[in-house]
Amino acid sequence: MSETHLTMGAHVAPPMEERPFAIPSKKLAMWLFIMADVMTFAACVAAYAFLRNATPDWPRPFHGVTSVAIMTFIMLTSSLTMLIALTAAKASDKAGAFRWMMITAVAGAAFTALHIRDWMGMISQGAGLLQNPWGPAAFGAAFYTITGFSLAHISVGTIALFVVAIRYQGGRYNADDVEIVNLFWQFVGLVWLFIVPVVYLMNLAR
Amino acid sequence: MTTAEGSGIKKYVVVYLALLVITALQFVIGYQNIEGAALVVRMLTFAIVETILVVLFLMNLGSEKRVFVKFVVFFMLFVLATMNYIWTDSFRLLLFRVTGFGPS
Repeated sequence: MSETHLTMGAHVAPPMEERPFAIPSKKLAMWLFIMADVMTFAACVAAYAFLRNATPDWPRPFHGVTSVAIMTFIMLTSSLTMLIALTAAKASDKAGAFRWMMITAVAGAAFTALHIRDWMGMISQGAGLLQNPWGPAAFGAAFYTITGFSLAHISVGTIALFVVAIRYQGGRYNADDVEIVNLFWQFVGLVWLFIVPVVYLMNLAR
Repeated sequence: MTTAEGSGIKKYVVVYLALLVITALQFVIGYQNIEGAALVVRMLTFAIVETILVVLFLMNLGSEKRVFVKFVVFFMLFVLATMNYIWTDSFRLLLFRVTGFGPS
């Protein structure tokens, strides 16, 4: 091999195949994670639906869903603020992106606090994982599993939002990273939009 | 704010308002005296519309390459289809618990 060839090889990147599906690898990884997570949540919802359908005296403990309505409003609004952050990040508006990501993260924290308060209310009424005052014991396990998975995702998403916002502000992350955390946040919001009708609205006290 | 940014945010606001309206309708239906399959069908229809809006516009799947969209949609539908294997056993249990007859 000639010296000229070696010198050229050191400076010119070798030809690479195009990215699969023509999207950045990190974004593809997040999509694959979301697709796997859809399976987890679908299994939870299917298990809940199985028990709900097979149990004639399934509890209907929800007399009012005001807190659920407020939580849903917060979640939907945080989806919008996250998208505003993404739009700002794509336009290289660092201050704007940071501000809107922080607003989204605070909304996520407020949602988490309300969700825990909701759980505390249920627990104070005697609803545990293995027993509840309304009948079938499976209700508690099903309720806490499905809402617990959602709460865990939203809590992790809130932490991720804080971390990405701070690192984006510091110049360690770029708009692509904001887009990835946006994908996750929209996904957890979408899961909540399924949990509300299935778990709460179909079980309102009559 | 540039024109492109403004139109992007405008699109997101429209989808956000649509989601708010659909969710409000779900709450209204929840408080009506609708039971059984009618309630499930209405709730899930609205939830599916919300899913389409979120995935296409808020997760921006609509602006990805067609082959990737097909890949995601095929996988999601496959997952959702497989979850429907529960129903025969669920109804078997229901029948047993209501009538006391049939396999335990």
